[in-house]
Amino acid sequence: MAGLTLKNLYKRYENSGKKKKQQNDFAVKDLNLLCEQGEFIALLGPSGCGKTTTLRMIAGLEDITDGEIYIGERLVNNLHPKDRNIGLAFEDYAMYPPLDVYGNVAFNLRAKGVDKGEIDKRVREIAPLMQIDDILDKMPVKLSGGQKQRVNIARAIIREPELLLMDEPLSHLDGKARQSMRVEIKRLINKIKCTTIYVTHDQLEAMSLADKIAIINFGVLQQFGTPAEVYDDPVNEFVASFIGEPPMNILETTIVKEDGTFFFTFDNSNLKIAVPSRYYSVVSDGFKCKMGVRPMDVLIGGEGSKGTPEEIATFENLGDERRIGVRVGDMLLMLITEDEKRYRSGDIIKLEVREEKTHLFDITTGNRIREQA
Amino acid sequence: MARIQLENVKKSFGKVQALNGISLDVKDKEFFVLFGPAGAGKTTILNCIAGINLPEEGMVKFNNEIVNLVDPAHRNVAMVFENYALYPQMTVYDNMAAALRSNLYKTDEATIKEKVHVAARMMKMENLLERLPSQLSNGQKQRVAMGRALVRTPNVFLMDEPLAHLDAKLRNAMRTELKEMQANLGSTCIYVTHDFMEAMALGDRIAIINKGEIVQIGSGDEIYYMPCNEFVAQLMGDPQINIIPGTIKEAEGGYVFCFEANGEKLTVSMPEDKELWKKIRETGLKNTDMGLRPQNVKYSFTPEEGYFKTTVYSYESIGNKSVIMAECGEYQLRMIAPNGLKIAIDQDIYVRFEIDHSMFFDPQTKEYVSRYDEETIREFAAEQEVK
Amino acid sequence: MNNGKKRLGYAAQNLLLIVYAIFALFPLVWMVIISLKSDAQVFTTTFAFTPTLANYKEVLLRSDYTSYMIDSLIISGGSVIVSVLVGVPAAYALARYNFHRKEDLAFQILSFKFAPEILVVLPLFMIYQKLGLYDSYLGLIWVYQLISMPLLIWVVRGYFEDISVEIEYAAQVDGYTWYQIFFKMLVPLIKPGLVSAALLAFIFAWNSFTFPLILAGRNIQPITVAITKYLGTDTAHYGQLAVAATVSAVPAMIFALCIQKHLVRGLSFGAVKG
Repeated sequence: MAGLTLKNLYKRYENSGKKKKQQNDFAVKDLNLLCEQGEFIALLGPSGCGKTTTLRMIAGLEDITDGEIYIGERLVNNLHPKDRNIGLAFEDYAMYPPLDVYGNVAFNLRAKGVDKGEIDKRVREIAPLMQIDDILDKMPVKLSGGQKQRVNIARAIIREPELLLMDEPLSHLDGKARQSMRVEIKRLINKIKCTTIYVTHDQLEAMSLADKIAIINFGVLQQFGTPAEVYDDPVNEFVASFIGEPPMNILETTIVKEDGTFFFTFDNSNLKIAVPSRYYSVVSDGFKCKMGVRPMDVLIGGEGSKGTPEEIATFENLGDERRIGVRVGDMLLMLITEDEKRYRSGDIIKLEVREEKTHLFDITTGNRIREQA
Repeated sequence: MARIQLENVKKSFGKVQALNGISLDVKDKEFFVLFGPAGAGKTTILNCIAGINLPEEGMVKFNNEIVNLVDPAHRNVAMVFENYALYPQMTVYDNMAAALRSNLYKTDEATIKEKVHVAARMMKMENLLERLPSQLSNGQKQRVAMGRALVRTPNVFLMDEPLAHLDAKLRNAMRTELKEMQANLGSTCIYVTHDFMEAMALGDRIAIINKGEIVQIGSGDEIYYMPCNEFVAQLMGDPQINIIPGTIKEAEGGYVFCFEANGEKLTVSMPEDKELWKKIRETGLKNTDMGLRPQNVKYSFTPEEGYFKTTVYSYESIGNKSVIMAECGEYQLRMIAPNGLKIAIDQDIYVRFEIDHSMFFDPQTKEYVSRYDEETIREFAAEQEVK
Repeated sequence: MNNGKKRLGYAAQNLLLIVYAIFALFPLVWMVIISLKSDAQVFTTTFAFTPTLANYKEVLLRSDYTSYMIDSLIISGGSVIVSVLVGVPAAYALARYNFHRKEDLAFQILSFKFAPEILVVLPLFMIYQKLGLYDSYLGLIWVYQLISMPLLIWVVRGYFEDISVEIEYAAQVDGYTWYQIFFKMLVPLIKPGLVSAALLAFIFAWNSFTFPLILAGRNIQPITVAITKYLGTDTAHYGQLAVAATVSAVPAMIFALCIQKHLVRGLSFGAVKG
């Protein structure tokens, strides 16, 4: 067990040919990350953002252009993958087809020349943990996707690695199996307390599994924090819209001052939302920015509500909850309610917004505008 | 625009019975959803309606006319295929125009151009018209496939999982769009999906299909609140409904529900509901599976009156909210919680059932027996349909 | 890697390729050289000789060489056309329809290519004599189907199988008839495979020797057979032989060069994944 430190990590692909003559040809750019021992870290980002490249650099499968990687106190830049003491579970289940599950799990230890009794002991120890004790004598072709993934992880952790690396281990599984496997992984890691780096493009997976999430876009780290932090306190528009489903409503707004109070107003819409007073120091009359608010924080006002009356554009009854869309200019403002009332499109509702939950983003850079202390 | 009927349709492929007596009556201008797990036979039903598959038995009727022997071209249906089925050698524009250029639906180029552009605008892909399918992402292909169907004015739109390959965000956004679009199109639409949110959100009525048979037909609310068996109850809802095995016992003129959690015998007294009481008496229901939606299980981290103690099995986010699973020995209880709570695995948690929202199933047959407020819900659902 | 090392690597690679090219092309070069020598010089010189076009004049102008070429063209071209007309529908059926013993049939078609030609040619000779097909265009085109048809069917079938059946369904639903679908939707998609398989079949047919040697000979003489004429019983005109061989290889070479790009892409399936 050990922590992991990435210091100013860069990756640039050589031989990228004539096609990639863009300025931004770094796959990973100035990445700094500090993972404590035993932490579960998710690298999250859209496809091609550099998260897998980062993982491969940590594993030693990819050269490092610049920067340093430490596992514990050891600088591992120039170590061969096998000497880094890491466990790998990759997205395509690369199992050895002629070996049964037992053979697959034991393979690494056999290759290292660990003695038979010891191997058997370790396999028998880990099998019930991964719930593969009843399939140890099966061949890989006979396994279901979930089982294969379990074997895969068992294979990675049997070497008792200092660091466990997983690359989209659930992407091959379908809905239900994925959900239950997610829970299993979470519980397993909790039990073995191994520092884990987990690459995924699925924000749900990251949110539900990780202790901390590193959100990466275009090879640049956007935010590194706990799930609650990235959800409630996103640093920019990208993080805000990437985390959460349905995504945060982000609307372009012009701030107007009336009788000493600031309001968010929107083009071609009568919607008016009071600006929380903590932002008064950073806004002014006519200030243009983007306002973000999560669908859960938009409410339907009851009788005598002071909310703006708005027409419902879309109404979706999803059983557990209902989603309502309201047109604000040419944008759709979504809200979620668990209220049992059924609406139809065209109905008028009074729209209220939990003002204290609104976020401000810069209109060009998308960076969060924060209140000044 | 047409009314589509299937009467006792049977279809088998070799030894596999794909459809086993399917009867449906899809009203004119209805948005009808076929919902079920993979391999249930949903796509085969669509293919039978389109004329791609010929049923061995039963009738397919369009507007009361039997069309069993009409070939696909002459049925005037528009179909969206799950794997898009775009013509690889044609540009997006030509793909969308293909139907209107066939001898059967021949339209002059000016009209075609207009229609294609309208559909492209609807699907937000006007910038893609000159591309070839190989240059598109899966999401874009799916939109083209939708657009190709939308240029026509067919008897019925048949859509086979048109949103399945999109990522969650785009899928939800497109679903919302589709809902709006459907209102404008005002045409009959039969929509296949395995995603319960799509089924609930889009369908005027939903048919639950399993193993080539129809399990239940009804509006979303009907099926959600009164599923005809445990299978349907588990399909509708994410996270899944809790099924708690137990017994109903008479006590003090009323009833109590007895169940086990982690080996401990527990009872919950059941508030009175005349209809339910009557049903229990009539059916002599004793052993039962109680179905309780996750939002009707309440939790607390400190001991409270009416709560029983158990431990957290997992806590995970499902988007705008989270699910706590609590270990109860034989089963696990799912409940809804907000995001971002500090919960450790295996910590103690106290749980209470809102039993007045529960439904009851026969533990042997797994069939629905009754639930709380059945009458109210029935009226409520009927009211929705009248609207 | 530094630049010097890289350059060294390239040099080594090229050297190896050159060695291989010499090895592979030498027989051809030798043949061309011989064709430019007079009979007297064939055995006495290697590279230092006085080039002469006498052999070319002799073969191309004073013998029936052109008529042999035309025969070859008719037979090879005809057999490819027949193969396409029959083979494409057959390939479609093998790819799309399920019928009893389908795979056996498909394998049998392929197995036509397994048997050595010499093995079947004698019984064929007898049959052709009886049927009156001996020494006729029809007879040769027919027997050439053993060469061209299996190849064509197997390549094109792979292409049809790669096209998802939903594309046909979609076109049906779009209001197209089967024939329109076949020619408008499917043919464009199998074209790369069809073209390369057809050209390859043409080259194989062109080069065929055993069949025309035994099943024809008097009226019809494709070029491969005709070349043997220059090996007389008493004298061997090696120069003329070389000319005949060189010229006969030209069409095949032109084709091969034309379709080189096509061929590699066309014969490796999966080109139409939409």
